[in-house]
Amino acid sequence: MRYLFFIAVLIMPLLAQSKTLPKDLQWETNNSADTWADPNATKGGVFNDYIISFPPTLRTIGPDSNNSFRSFINANKMGLVSFHPTTWEIIPEIATHWAYGADKKTVYYKLDPAAKWSDGKSVTADDFLYTIKFMRSPHINAPWYNNHYTEQFEDVSKYDDHTISITGAVARSKEELHYYYGLGPTPEHFYGELDGDWVKKHNWKIVPNTGPYQISKIKKGKSVEFSLKENWWAKDYRYNKGRYNVNKVVIKVIRDDNIAFRHFEKGDIDSFDLVHPDYWHNKAKGKLFDNGYIHKVLFYNDMPRSASGFFLNMDKPILSDNDTRIGIAYALNFEKVIKTVLRDDYERLNAFHEGYGDYSNKNVKARPFDLEKANHYLTKAGWTEYNGSGIRIKNGKELSLEISYARKEHTDRWTIIKQDAKKAGINLELKLQDATAQYKTVMQKQHDIAAMGWSTGFKPAFWQHFHSDNAHKPQTNNVTNFDDKQIDDLIMEYRFETDTSKRIALSQKLEQMIHDSAAFIPSFKVSYTRGAHWRWLKFPKVPGTKTSATLYSPFGNGGVFWIDSKMKIDTMAARKSSTRYTPVNNVYEQFKVTQ
Amino acid sequence: MSSFSPQALRRWQRFKSIKRGYYSAIAISILIVLSLLAELWINNRALMVKYEGAYYFPTYGDILPGETFDLDYKWETNYRALKRQFKSEPNSENWVLMPLIPFSPNENDFIEGEYPPYEPSLASGHYLGTDMSGRDIFARIIYGFRIAIVFSIFLLSVTYIIGIAVGAAMGYFGGAFDLFFQRIIEILSNVPILYIIMIVASIITPNFWTLALLLAGFSWMGMTWYMRTETYRENAREYVQAARALGAGHSRIMFLHILPNSISILVTFFPFSVVGGITALTSLDYLGFGLPPPTPSWGELLQQGTTNLEFQWIWASAVGALSVVLTLVTFVGEAIREAFDPKKYTFYE
Repeated sequence: MRYLFFIAVLIMPLLAQSKTLPKDLQWETNNSADTWADPNATKGGVFNDYIISFPPTLRTIGPDSNNSFRSFINANKMGLVSFHPTTWEIIPEIATHWAYGADKKTVYYKLDPAAKWSDGKSVTADDFLYTIKFMRSPHINAPWYNNHYTEQFEDVSKYDDHTISITGAVARSKEELHYYYGLGPTPEHFYGELDGDWVKKHNWKIVPNTGPYQISKIKKGKSVEFSLKENWWAKDYRYNKGRYNVNKVVIKVIRDDNIAFRHFEKGDIDSFDLVHPDYWHNKAKGKLFDNGYIHKVLFYNDMPRSASGFFLNMDKPILSDNDTRIGIAYALNFEKVIKTVLRDDYERLNAFHEGYGDYSNKNVKARPFDLEKANHYLTKAGWTEYNGSGIRIKNGKELSLEISYARKEHTDRWTIIKQDAKKAGINLELKLQDATAQYKTVMQKQHDIAAMGWSTGFKPAFWQHFHSDNAHKPQTNNVTNFDDKQIDDLIMEYRFETDTSKRIALSQKLEQMIHDSAAFIPSFKVSYTRGAHWRWLKFPKVPGTKTSATLYSPFGNGGVFWIDSKMKIDTMAARKSSTRYTPVNNVYEQFKVTQ
Repeated sequence: MSSFSPQALRRWQRFKSIKRGYYSAIAISILIVLSLLAELWINNRALMVKYEGAYYFPTYGDILPGETFDLDYKWETNYRALKRQFKSEPNSENWVLMPLIPFSPNENDFIEGEYPPYEPSLASGHYLGTDMSGRDIFARIIYGFRIAIVFSIFLLSVTYIIGIAVGAAMGYFGGAFDLFFQRIIEILSNVPILYIIMIVASIITPNFWTLALLLAGFSWMGMTWYMRTETYRENAREYVQAARALGAGHSRIMFLHILPNSISILVTFFPFSVVGGITALTSLDYLGFGLPPPTPSWGELLQQGTTNLEFQWIWASAVGALSVVLTLVTFVGEAIREAFDPKKYTFYE
């Protein structure tokens, strides 16, 4: 009997692996979507870029890994599928085909047998199974990931070396299944068994990846160099043609944007993002631009906008009152900030979720600066008396609030807001904090008003920001301490609804309710990306896609530009002899949103 | 003058005879007085308003809401607009007397159709131009100077009081007490003060007092060494022994006998400590760890100037103001040092 049990233990894992695929799967693929690169792009050359600080580690997971450099590494990891940057269609990456299970929680993927790691090993189903094991391991020292991969993933199964299925925790719409449950592979042959030293051991290890570029040289504190793989397995695939053209991408560390801009003017950096009005109007001008050596580009995009603005902490006694919050919203002169220091380049953001297509409620408009209305609501809330400095008081308490913010470049914006809020009898104190400290203050829910923004998601995500499950406790994203039974119910309904039209209706309704509460006061949005590049940097006819946050990304959905090396030599010579070209100021309005 | 000792008078004469230092001292005193009265000559509040027969003096005290002058708003009166309005009314008895520079340091003054920063111009009244958010640079420099100098003098008083007391006690008691405090001072001197301030600034937003006390807490040690050696020396003198023989207590000997005789060394350090204080505050503000915005500050102005080099008037104003004030104070310091130099009066027999 004991013997039998022994055999059972031995063969059980084998049994578990030899699952069979359901019979009625409808395999889908997509080889007909539009491409967005120019197939005639010239290959070769070096693209120079910069970052503000050297990454504290090359790990993309574990302590200190959430730094800006991580995106360069992650952009060279292929997923199972990706989303078309303009149409949002699903297009193949490592998976060539996909199919959906009847439970609305499972997706089946057929892996591309040609897919290779940068060390030459094939990517197989085991690499995906290993991802789950890896992400759940305590040794990676990443509790959020441990938890996420334990709670959100029910199962990852292997059918053969190139077929897997992923089952998530909750049912979702098709595209969301890919978005939320689409795993990447993790190289088991590289990591092997994890141990307690993992974090330390892998600080500076270059991990095999599946994307077009791999790190080829690191100068600690100075630069990181990525090189194009010679025979990258996906280089001739439909959606990769004409992309990833430069041989090398050198990312230098330049600790100050101003100094980086000088490097750019010298030609040591090929391109520069110029969204900030001060750079675009004041710095990017002069001979280099007038003589046509450097081209300026303004490119309208259409993508989810960051929910940035003032987050009012409703657990604070003053801010717990709805009329007071509405009064405050009417007293904030964002319009003046836009008209003055932002040079009319930014626009007023209207709602928490903007740019999410039908999911956004276009009827929700931000409250404009209106002192009469501010007065009406504040008076209604009982703020009827004034003290000697012209600040409203109620029951001996001053209407005085702190704005906590983290970027010193934004001080000029908030001083204007502060000056004009005084006219409504509101005293706003500016509290500039170091970014980490502000994050901590907000996560502890100790702020009055937090001036901040959230990164965008795939679809509006209400639960994390507005559900009472996340209110009144630290370390959650409900920083307004939103706590409303009615909204809770709608959020849960939204969360588990798989019918798109119903979800859209719910999303719009929720957006309106959030607006009514005035717990979030939207500030600004930018509906374009803009920048400048040396004339030797060449682009397809349309230099970006609907969702391009920058035109100068060498990896990810970017990588469409190429370098004309001869033109680089010519331009440098022309610059010496002051030969003039026609100045270029291009505006691309293909994806401009008209409201 | 009669209460001063002949020696003090001689030093004063000597100081006066060093023209560069003497005139610098006068200039810096005038600057300090002017900055302390800044509200009277740089302000967006009027000095005096005559309206319907009544006189108003809005400079100090509570705000006067617009309704006071029958304007249709409750917030503080815009006196520049009021002045324009009274001027445009024919035969009006009403008038507004504005200060020389009619802007407050925290006020954004925007010109319709133009974007800040605005160039220096006589027409707009911004004689040194405005900063990146349209605030008058001259106003910010003067108010910034006031904060810097008050900060510096406060910082210096605290460090001197602690430094002198500890230093004198070390020199006077000597022995184990001296040894113990030497070690304490060595440890404290090795604490990287900038990091401490960065850490503190990330937890709380420092205000004037916390920042000054924090800095003082780590910079009182410099003075102790001089005071200690000086006390050691004086302690061995006959007058101290005489005082002791008469039964004077420790603190009486230290502060009434030894201190006055070693004051010269402290006085020579005084101006340089002022320079140190101003520089410390300016550099902290420059790095963003100083006083919270929108406090007018030279460091913050310098920071704006260096990130926007193309607007020369911003950095030029900050650098100019810093150079002038630091040079003046240094001149005063040199003159004091020379006036207190005993060599001039050393006689060889």
